[in-house]
Amino acid sequence: MYVCHCGLNIAAVVDVGAVAAYAGTLPDVVVARDLSYTCSDNGQRAIREDIEKYNLSRVVVASCSPRMHGDTFMKTCEAGGLNPYLFEMANIREQCSWVHTDLEGATQKAKDLIKMAVERAALLQPLERKKSAVTQSALVVGGGVAGIFSALYLANAGIKTYILEKNPSIGGHMAQLDKTFPTLDCSLCILSPRMADVGRHENIELISYADLEDISGHAGNFHVKVKKNPRYITEDCRLCGTCAEKCPVEVPDEFNRGMKMRKAAYIPFPQAVPNYYLIDPETCLHLTKGGCRLCEKNCPSSAVDFDQKEEVVEFDVGAVILATGFKLYDARSKKEFGYGVYPNVVTNFDFERIVSADGPTHGKVLRPSDGKKLEKIGFIQCVGSRDEKEGAVYCSRICCMATVKQATMVREKYPEAEIYVYYTDMRTPGKDFEEFYQRSRDQGIVFIRGKPGEISEDKNHNLIIVSEDTDSGLLLRNTLDLVVLACGLRPPEGVDELAKMLHLSKSPDGFIMEAHPKLRPAETAIPGVYVAGCVQFPKDIPDTVAQSGGAAAVAAELLTKDEVELEPVQAFIDEELCIGCGLCELLCEYGAVEIRETDEGLKAHIVEVACQGCGVCAASCPKKAIIVHHFTEDQLLAQVEGALEVKEGIA
Amino acid sequence: MKDFDPKIIGFLCNWCSYAGADLAGISRIKYAPHLRIIRVLCSGRVDPYIIVTAFEKGADGVLVTGCHPGDCHYISGNYEAEKKVENTRKILEKAGINGKRLGLEWISAAEGARFAEVVNQFTEVIKNLGPSKAEVDLQKMKAAKEEASDFRVRWLMGRERDLLEEGNVFGEEVDRKEFENLMDTVIETQFVRSSILTALKEEPLSAAELAEKLGVPSDVVVQNLVQLARGQKVQMIEGRPIRYEVIPW
Repeated sequence: MYVCHCGLNIAAVVDVGAVAAYAGTLPDVVVARDLSYTCSDNGQRAIREDIEKYNLSRVVVASCSPRMHGDTFMKTCEAGGLNPYLFEMANIREQCSWVHTDLEGATQKAKDLIKMAVERAALLQPLERKKSAVTQSALVVGGGVAGIFSALYLANAGIKTYILEKNPSIGGHMAQLDKTFPTLDCSLCILSPRMADVGRHENIELISYADLEDISGHAGNFHVKVKKNPRYITEDCRLCGTCAEKCPVEVPDEFNRGMKMRKAAYIPFPQAVPNYYLIDPETCLHLTKGGCRLCEKNCPSSAVDFDQKEEVVEFDVGAVILATGFKLYDARSKKEFGYGVYPNVVTNFDFERIVSADGPTHGKVLRPSDGKKLEKIGFIQCVGSRDEKEGAVYCSRICCMATVKQATMVREKYPEAEIYVYYTDMRTPGKDFEEFYQRSRDQGIVFIRGKPGEISEDKNHNLIIVSEDTDSGLLLRNTLDLVVLACGLRPPEGVDELAKMLHLSKSPDGFIMEAHPKLRPAETAIPGVYVAGCVQFPKDIPDTVAQSGGAAAVAAELLTKDEVELEPVQAFIDEELCIGCGLCELLCEYGAVEIRETDEGLKAHIVEVACQGCGVCAASCPKKAIIVHHFTEDQLLAQVEGALEVKEGIA
Repeated sequence: MKDFDPKIIGFLCNWCSYAGADLAGISRIKYAPHLRIIRVLCSGRVDPYIIVTAFEKGADGVLVTGCHPGDCHYISGNYEAEKKVENTRKILEKAGINGKRLGLEWISAAEGARFAEVVNQFTEVIKNLGPSKAEVDLQKMKAAKEEASDFRVRWLMGRERDLLEEGNVFGEEVDRKEFENLMDTVIETQFVRSSILTALKEEPLSAAELAEKLGVPSDVVVQNLVQLARGQKVQMIEGRPIRYEVIPW
């Protein structure tokens, strides 16, 4: 029995010495010590030495949450020669010293928690972890910058990697950006070589234009089902573009955010990977109404194949990295800014295309309504971020810097233009970010602290903004040619389905929750499932690439092993009591219980690889014939009794 | 009631609410110190029998917390927990325990502040109700435990969601109200039967003696004795008055 001071984290509120003395009086406790930092090398050594010296059969540590150091101490016990499932923990930090101020009450609670733990520990049973072979390959879901780098890191380490992208090309949002802050590197110039690497890497299998249907299994062994959509053009395509030239159908181009048209036979953008054309089944004349086939008739490589069908492919991987990015806040929800109504109100992502050399205006920054040159331009920050009404209290982290970058680019093109940025707080925490921001101020970009309430429009599509400058207290009225809304980032589409499929938790903001906010930022609570990029929380490109490396490293840690240990906390059927009623089979969400015919009649049987140990079957079994290892009824009742027993004579 | 320090047992699911409780700590949010937390993997693991036993052993309140609906780490364990808590509350009420002493809340891993709030509110409820001691009748608690272990009660509890969502084996839709009425009736009759069984386990008794001991009309006792005898649970002992005893397993 070890009671931890955790420096003053526990000792400031709980009388650790008294608690350890009390622990020593509990039945079966052979040795009770208080240690200043039990998780330290010294603390762990003390435990290992005591196991040998006193031949301990159970170890209880009262310190932080088992979610924090449960694994640490299980390993300590194992190293000391004790089965790790004979270890129990009392959470006297997160659930005691940190939430109470009253010394007496907290000390009493700590004693109770320890008594509960000791009583439970006495009933713990050793459990053996079974092993299962690791499939040494990975799936990366999403082919944006996060997915690209995760896949490359893994593949370069020699691990077979599947990368799944729902769009016809990888590249994600980064491919749509013109330049990147704070260095003003051309976004595609730095990304497209890495996209090409993905396309031709011997260890990467790129599955684009495909939907994830299902993932099941556990760390080391996931089974993946993917639906590949037909492109109707084969890899024989030589990129001549004849199909697009001949195609009679024009539709808005998604890559250019609808500001340019493309054909039904198209390539998303010139640097696309995989680099060949496809036919959009929703607008193609032949595929919607029949006939046409102009592309097929004119293709010099005979690459058009209208007989292609969607195809379901299945494969196994040992680890999954989620890199599905984000969805841009829909600015139409903020009616007061008139996005979608006033032609000269655009979003930050629209602006990237407007300013891009291969965008709708070939890089000339012009007013969408009349193609006029810009004289006055405004940026509004925090649109759909830091906005409780819009359901996003968080800061989206990239919009301040993106605006500084965009304003700088306008300044380059229009040295005389008036540029205004309406902000809440300018946030520039990153390498060279503040310097970049200061330079933009030096270039005469005006930063106004104050969020405009609304935008109105005159008959020439000029935009009128009234806002308070909270620094001077003045009310400012401005007539502008163009307004850019710095929209925040939202969780990506499909994140709910993904979370459900893999049993992941989401943060209150809707992004996938990491295993630990500081120490395990690229892992999730589910072993074998990792996160990279904005699917976990909004972040810029450097942070995304860093997290992708982290995700690849933790995935590689698992994938370079031959075997993975299975959690032995599972249900067990007492066949003597079981009458084969089948309720457990009905209730189990994992198909982990099967009713089988035996010599003794119908009996339930636990499928070990499928059982997750939740215990719903045990709590429901009408005959109480199911035991959940490590959470048995006896063990839980021992904790109940430990908590309720009247304490006699020990203050 | 100023000096009343209630004893409250909390069953927290590992994935959402236990993490939420940890987050309350990490955020240093203070709350009432009466809750004693027991970690389970899923709120659906909390067996009605364990809850009833906690009250028998002197808990003033029991709080079960799980993931929000739709967010359960084990897909639907929290829905099972909800059914179990609702029905266990009915059993407790039959035994004279105020149903408000059994709480159920959904707390996510991100809701540290909400966890603290829930604990404070629940503690307040229990403080207002006073010590459970006044409500606990050990004989009735034994009957409640017996009922919580009963095949029919557990079977129905386990089938509830499936019956309401998928219909019965004949493909007929089952009406929620109708099912709840059925469940109420079963819990009520089974409580009488469990009380009879509990009493007979101690000593053989006649119908009249049982009626007096349990405070139940003698015709109700006789009806249930007949059913228990048919179900091979009890048997008559020859002699006058006719007494009944429990058939050992």
